[in-house]
Order: sequence, then C-alpha cells, then structure tokens
Amino acid sequence: MQRRDFFKKIGTIVAVSAITPAISFANEKQKSPNTMNFTTAMDTITGGKPVKTSKLIKLKVPEIAENGAVVPVTVNVDSPMTEKDYVKAIHILSGKNFNARSVDIYLTPANGKAMFSTRIKLGGTQEVTALVELSNGTFIKASQSVKVTIGGCG
Amino acid sequence: MAKTRKSLIKIKPKRYKDGEIVKVSFMVMHPMDTGMGKDKKTKKIIPAKYINSVKFEYNGKVITTMTVWEAISVNPVFTTYVKINGKGKLKVIYTDNTGEVHEKSKKIKPKG
Repeated sequence: MQRRDFFKKIGTIVAVSAITPAISFANEKQKSPNTMNFTTAMDTITGGKPVKTSKLIKLKVPEIAENGAVVPVTVNVDSPMTEKDYVKAIHILSGKNFNARSVDIYLTPANGKAMFSTRIKLGGTQEVTALVELSNGTFIKASQSVKVTIGGCG
Repeated sequence: MAKTRKSLIKIKPKRYKDGEIVKVSFMVMHPMDTGMGKDKKTKKIIPAKYINSVKFEYNGKVITTMTVWEAISVNPVFTTYVKINGKGKLKVIYTDNTGEVHEKSKKIKPKG
C-alpha cells in the first residue's frame, strides 16, 4: 500500500506542476516594467545598423523543448579573439517573450574563446536569435525556431 | 537580506596549465521570479526577483560582464571560456533587482 500511495502522490505533483504554468500564463494580462518587442529590442541594440545572417555563429538550441522553463542555449562564434579582432558582445533574443531580451554578454580578448551557454525560459513556440557584435562594429546574427510544448513564462 | 545564496564556480578541466583556455561555469541558487507568476495557495502575484548583472573578474581585471533579464531559468548557469594567465583569483560578482549583491571567488593555480 505504501508504494501505491507514493506513486499517487508523485502523479498528482507531476500533473499539478504540468498544468499550472499554462493557467498562470493565461490569467496574467498585466505587463512587466521591462516589456520589449523583438524589433524594438533589435533596434535599440544595433542602433539601426544592418544585420547580416552569418555562418560564423553556431547557435545550439533544441528543436523541440518539452519544458519551456528550461531551454539550454549555446552560442559559439568562430573568432580569433585577439586585440584587433574579437567578439564584443553576444545578445540572446527571443521572438515572442514579453521581454525579448534574455541576456547580453560583453566579452574581452581575455576570454580566449567566444562561447556562452545558459538556460532560458520561453513562453511558447518561437524563434531564438543570437545577435553578435564584432569589434569592428558590425552585427551578425543566427536564429533557430524552437517548438515549446509547455510554456515557461510566469 | 543577509541570506547567503549557494553558488559555485566550476573550472573544466580540473588540471590546467598557464596559457590554456578553460571552461568556467558559474551557478547560483536563485528563484528568478519574473513578476508575472501567481502563488498557488495565496493567489497573490509573486514580486519580481531576478539577477540583474553578472561580472567576472580575474586578478582585479574585468573579463566578462553580463546584463541579465527575467527570461533566464531558475538556478541559472552561466558558462564562458577564460584564458589562464598566471596565479590569482577568479571573482564573480552578481547583483539582484532588489539590491542584493553577492560575490564568489576561486583560486587559480596553473600546474606545469
């Protein structure tokens, strides 16, 4: 009997935790103070400069994320990282989150390698973009869409 | 607010030489509340509490700075590479949107 109870409890916990993010996301209509659109976020970072899609960036995101609360993101930029030529900043943006900006990372040549990885939250199926600023002032980007089965914002 | 948060700096590989580029990951136990979620029992909105900025310092020199928003997962992990340049200390300072400031440091001892 003990084992049965244990499994019952586990089942309820899993069910509740699976349902709650969806409910809380539907109920919340109020906005966060740092709400930012994807296009305005892009404009504020680049300042209206043109952005090219480049193969130098290797963006590693799962195509299907079961849980939107934990989506691993890895950005690898092919760069020598010397004083003359290095990656200045990496911005990770999401297309449909209420705040499009997730993280900005400002690197220096002392890093040795232009790589960053973390875990982000995604509210639903959307595109994740890595916007990279090089030391000569140009911007490059790479993006990939992620299918999220359970949203993780809220 | 003097609550200590568990944090950890991990360096990979464990044994490294001078001039080698190593992977450094920084982990914190932090709730990262967005300010949009509700408490299940009290049905009140949980106020926003998330890490604002993270700074990596190596021997007093700032290597990497990060500006962080709400969309980072609970108990975040930040991973980058750092080039080893002599003996010293790697310090990570992180601040909260509520004004919490913490720091964690690790000694760096290159071998060979």
